[in-house]
Amino acid sequence: MAFGQRIRRFLDERFDTDVAIHFFDKQLHKRLPPHTSWLHVFGSLSLLLFISQTITGILLLIYYRPTPEAAHKSIQLITGEVHFGWLYRQIHAWGATLMILALLLHMLRTYFSGAYKKPRELTWVTGVIIFILTITFGFTGYLLPWSQLSFWATTVGTESADKVPFIGHWLKYFLRGGETVTGETLSRFFVVHVIILPWLLTGLVAVHLFLMRLNNLATLEPVGEEKPIPPRRGIPFYPVHTTKEAVVAVLLLAFIVTLAILSPWGIGAPADPLSTPEHIKPEWYFLPSYQLLKYFEGAYGAVLGIVACSVPFLLLLLWPFLDRGKERHPKKRPIAVTFGIIGLLAALFLGYLGHISETDQTFFGKRYHIDLLGRPHRITDTPEQSPSEEDPPPPVSRNMLDERSPIRAAPVRKRLAFPARAVLLGERTASSRPQPDKANDLLNTFSKLM
Amino acid sequence: MTKEQTTTTRRGFLDWLISLGALITGLAVTIPGVMYLWPAARGKGAKRVQVKGAGKLAPGQSMMVQVNGKAAIVVRERSGLKAFSASCTHLGCLVKWVPGKRQFHCPCHAGVFDENGAVVSGPPPTPLPEYKVKKIGAKVFVSLA
Repeated sequence: MAFGQRIRRFLDERFDTDVAIHFFDKQLHKRLPPHTSWLHVFGSLSLLLFISQTITGILLLIYYRPTPEAAHKSIQLITGEVHFGWLYRQIHAWGATLMILALLLHMLRTYFSGAYKKPRELTWVTGVIIFILTITFGFTGYLLPWSQLSFWATTVGTESADKVPFIGHWLKYFLRGGETVTGETLSRFFVVHVIILPWLLTGLVAVHLFLMRLNNLATLEPVGEEKPIPPRRGIPFYPVHTTKEAVVAVLLLAFIVTLAILSPWGIGAPADPLSTPEHIKPEWYFLPSYQLLKYFEGAYGAVLGIVACSVPFLLLLLWPFLDRGKERHPKKRPIAVTFGIIGLLAALFLGYLGHISETDQTFFGKRYHIDLLGRPHRITDTPEQSPSEEDPPPPVSRNMLDERSPIRAAPVRKRLAFPARAVLLGERTASSRPQPDKANDLLNTFSKLM
Repeated sequence: MTKEQTTTTRRGFLDWLISLGALITGLAVTIPGVMYLWPAARGKGAKRVQVKGAGKLAPGQSMMVQVNGKAAIVVRERSGLKAFSASCTHLGCLVKWVPGKRQFHCPCHAGVFDENGAVVSGPPPTPLPEYKVKKIGAKVFVSLA
């Protein structure tokens, strides 16, 4: 008897293997709606990135040390001395950014195709929670290298929790494990990043996938009028849709390795609690909130700012229960589609303003200084100008985020440079010099495109 | 032309090509992972160390020291200083010098070695490796034999 048959018989004597095989077979060959296209791969792409983050995360954990004394050194060790350590660190850092991008694209597809409507509201809600948890992943993971940038980004980020009404100060104290960001904060963020969030996300992804499979993918037919998928026209999950997913997966692998080599993330100088670096800005996915917070001033303004930043997420969470129209096709949902486009453009615009704020930019051949609030001020090269004609000086920091770090005009968004060559050759760099290099330029172009 | 070559279908060839691609991708992902996990040679201890305080050991006394990152035991005998690897050759616990019996005893599985490192009783399969002791002036150095 063949070995496979003997295993089968062993299992058959213990439970009904046909039930299990039938279940997996049905799931594998499930027919998806005929309109299932390349736009439907972003969900599995996000899942793939989550798996990649988990694997690279476990690998990094082998050499990473979560203490203020050892964290930065262990990142240097991973980058410079461990075989392929630089690669896994880069895949982990880029994977985080790409996972958030993939989730956003997945949500956009779901939103504009009306797939969140009844009976799939809970799939949407779990999806939004997955998105929020992923951003939290990004925030907590950012502190772990214990570099200047990560230390001060966490200081500013947790400081904004202070503005939450009533419980703000308590919340900040709780998040930091004390009054300021210390080793206690590192421990907390570490536990949240490597234990709590991974399991929460795994559970939620399981529920999300279960619900998605239970209701199948949405068609574009109105709520309550969905016809069963014609067996011959439905697209088989395997091999048709899985092939698309495999193609995208391979392209993603190539893309992420290319990014890792051509545009590596720097290590940065070790954290110094006594010196705030200039021009720190958050990652691109926090830029819209970062910019929005700047427009709210004073004690009450700060509270309003926090509320304003929470509203988009609340709207996202509750959206299936607010938009109860039966139509799914985007052409038949002018209000929802317009609202979605305006929201998207607003986020892109705020993010772009956040990106270029406090930098000098050239538009149509003229130089402008973009101030904190994103207002352009013309830069003239004639110092003989009379004082009255001079451009108004950029206003001093006006919002709570910048009270701690009064900052001057920045040439480019700061990301501490780390030459690709040094990464590839495994050269140890104790402190990287902030010098613009090709990789940095590429990165800036890339983040502008995004 | 053989029969096999004429019967290769386009589908069969594509299947083979895809399998090959999957294999190469799989290897490209796995090999760096295994290399990553392999401990990089770093932070090894010195192969020759100075044993501070060895000169002050009274006859019959012993002290522990690290040579090449591993524990070694230095004993003052009537004939002079001797050094052995302190790891029991059975399962690696550290042996102790028992001055009264002039033996090394392993606390884990009752292995016993004599003053020259030879097995007296118990499960250890081989003697304790002996290390070189060198005196330069008042300084004592221990190194791998």
